[in-house]
Amino acid sequence: MTQTVSEPAWLAGRRAAALERYQSLPVPTNRDEAWRYTNLRGFDPDQLEQQPGALLLSDAELPDGVVFGNLAAMVAARPELVERYLGSVVSGEEKFAAGNAASWTDGAFLLVPAGVELTVPLRASIEVPAEGAAIHHRTLVVLERGARATFAEDYSSIVPGYVNTVVELVIGEGARLEYVTTQKHHAETRQFGTHRATIDRDGEVDWVVLGLGGTRAKSRIESYLAGPGANAKVTGAYFLTGREHADYDTTQEHAAPNTTSDLFFKGVLADHSRAVWRGVIRVDKGAQKTDAYQENRNLLLSHEAHADSIPGLEIEANDVRCTHGATIGQIDKLQLFYLMSRGLSRVQAERLIVRGFFQPILDRIGSDEVRESLAAELEARMATDELP
Amino acid sequence: MPDLIIRNLHASIDGAEILRGVDLELSRGEVHAIMGPNGSGKSTLAHVLMGHPSYEVTEGEVEFMGEQVLELDPDERSRLGLFLAFQYPSAVPGVTVANFLRMAVNAHRRTPDGEDNPIRIPEFRKLLQENMEQLKIDRTMTSRYLNDGFSGGEKKRMEMLQMAVLRPQIAILDETDSGLDIDALRIVSDGVNSLVGPEMGALVITHYSRLLKYIKPDHIHVLVGGRVVRSGGPELADELERDGYTPYGVEEAAV
Repeated sequence: MTQTVSEPAWLAGRRAAALERYQSLPVPTNRDEAWRYTNLRGFDPDQLEQQPGALLLSDAELPDGVVFGNLAAMVAARPELVERYLGSVVSGEEKFAAGNAASWTDGAFLLVPAGVELTVPLRASIEVPAEGAAIHHRTLVVLERGARATFAEDYSSIVPGYVNTVVELVIGEGARLEYVTTQKHHAETRQFGTHRATIDRDGEVDWVVLGLGGTRAKSRIESYLAGPGANAKVTGAYFLTGREHADYDTTQEHAAPNTTSDLFFKGVLADHSRAVWRGVIRVDKGAQKTDAYQENRNLLLSHEAHADSIPGLEIEANDVRCTHGATIGQIDKLQLFYLMSRGLSRVQAERLIVRGFFQPILDRIGSDEVRESLAAELEARMATDELP
Repeated sequence: MPDLIIRNLHASIDGAEILRGVDLELSRGEVHAIMGPNGSGKSTLAHVLMGHPSYEVTEGEVEFMGEQVLELDPDERSRLGLFLAFQYPSAVPGVTVANFLRMAVNAHRRTPDGEDNPIRIPEFRKLLQENMEQLKIDRTMTSRYLNDGFSGGEKKRMEMLQMAVLRPQIAILDETDSGLDIDALRIVSDGVNSLVGPEMGALVITHYSRLLKYIKPDHIHVLVGGRVVRSGGPELADELERDGYTPYGVEEAAV
């Protein structure tokens, strides 16, 4: 594992502890519940060459007090902020999160001070720089009381590689963050990520999680509703082809009363692709009047595609409303017949059904820019795919 | 030569033979009605003509506009000018009526070489508006999802709107009257009547003679047990209304 020499002692100490933890943990196998459907056989992250990712941040004019830049640079420029928030959301107990805490090379840092609203979405683009490279990326977003922002990350690769990412979102009282993460990878690229938000009183997080091809990935998406009135909306869409595999592990943890969460993931699977969604709604003892929802729907375009959809509830409070649903289905052949009877070719009809399938996901996205770019991505994906 | 020629058509579903040798000829400008008791194969005939994937044609042929259509996919039949107004049209959530109709219109406008020739938006809007007014369809309907949450009557009008916009040579109307109140029935019938002429013929499938008071057929065919057992002029409807299908060996009340 590489280390940056000029780092402050607190960070070097944390890296050393994380490295120790990382090395003490075995690479997970299918016997680990969380990895039951995602096989790591033959994958040894330590054999890969660690390199910094190609990282680009948007270059926007920002209101006074907003801190936005490369995480590594912020360690030097604003050490008090980084030391305070880094690792405060994702503990790093799990193997890959520990590996990230030990080895992250760079990432994005955004702090929006109390009451400030960013009207333009900020973006980060993270690309695997070379074939076989392992990159460790880390994102830290802090919204102080009443702040508002949209932050979008695009992970991509045109060569096979490995991305380990940890995303920490700190959402203060009454603050609101829209966070978008998109994966568009080479079919052999692996990406393992832990994304976690902690949301204070009356704060809101609006997740948009997109798996748009070429990916062998496992993504944890965790919302920790820490303060009363906090809200999490989690929207996911994936469209996989070939032998792509995406595994989503979502947690909606209600730790305070009167909190709400609403998760909706939809995926289309073609060819031999495979998706796993495992969602847990956890309601802690004191979190009365929780209102939580989770739903996952899969549309299979081929008989070889496969989806596992596993909702789960762990409820310790007694005055709550928690509901969930999961479906896996094929294209309805009567729907197809109906559309074709109006002159649409089979491919056109299937695309229309797929478009219609994703529409409710698009309808959930608040920001026009994010919604339009997702619609365009889905169209592009359909245009290049040889639907059966 | 007639535009649609059905010869000795046999078709089955899940191994059960439903059509047992149907013969029928129909041309533009004509209205034919197919009447028959439940289970006689009326809807099967409509579906088989359009190319429903669940049915297997075991014998016979269908010639439409000079082409053998049984080998063609439903979209190719549609682009040749065949139209089926479904008894139970599918809902397609997430797809707006306007979007779907524009795609359908453009599919029909493609040149024989497969070149796109999309309709311009103002022209499309005008086409929709005119036909929606005639069918008394609310303007907000175009931004709703296709047949999603539509009432029975709304679905039937949507089928008629599609027919009006696509201008088929031959339209098959499968139990279009079912579930319509008298006002809706009149609107739908007016829509059909205004299209029937030198450019369109219709095959009207119905259980009851009620519809035939509004859409006047030139010929009536009685389908029983998967075969046309009798053909005649419009007067046959009155006879069927009086005697029901009992003379054909079917125990069923008068229509």
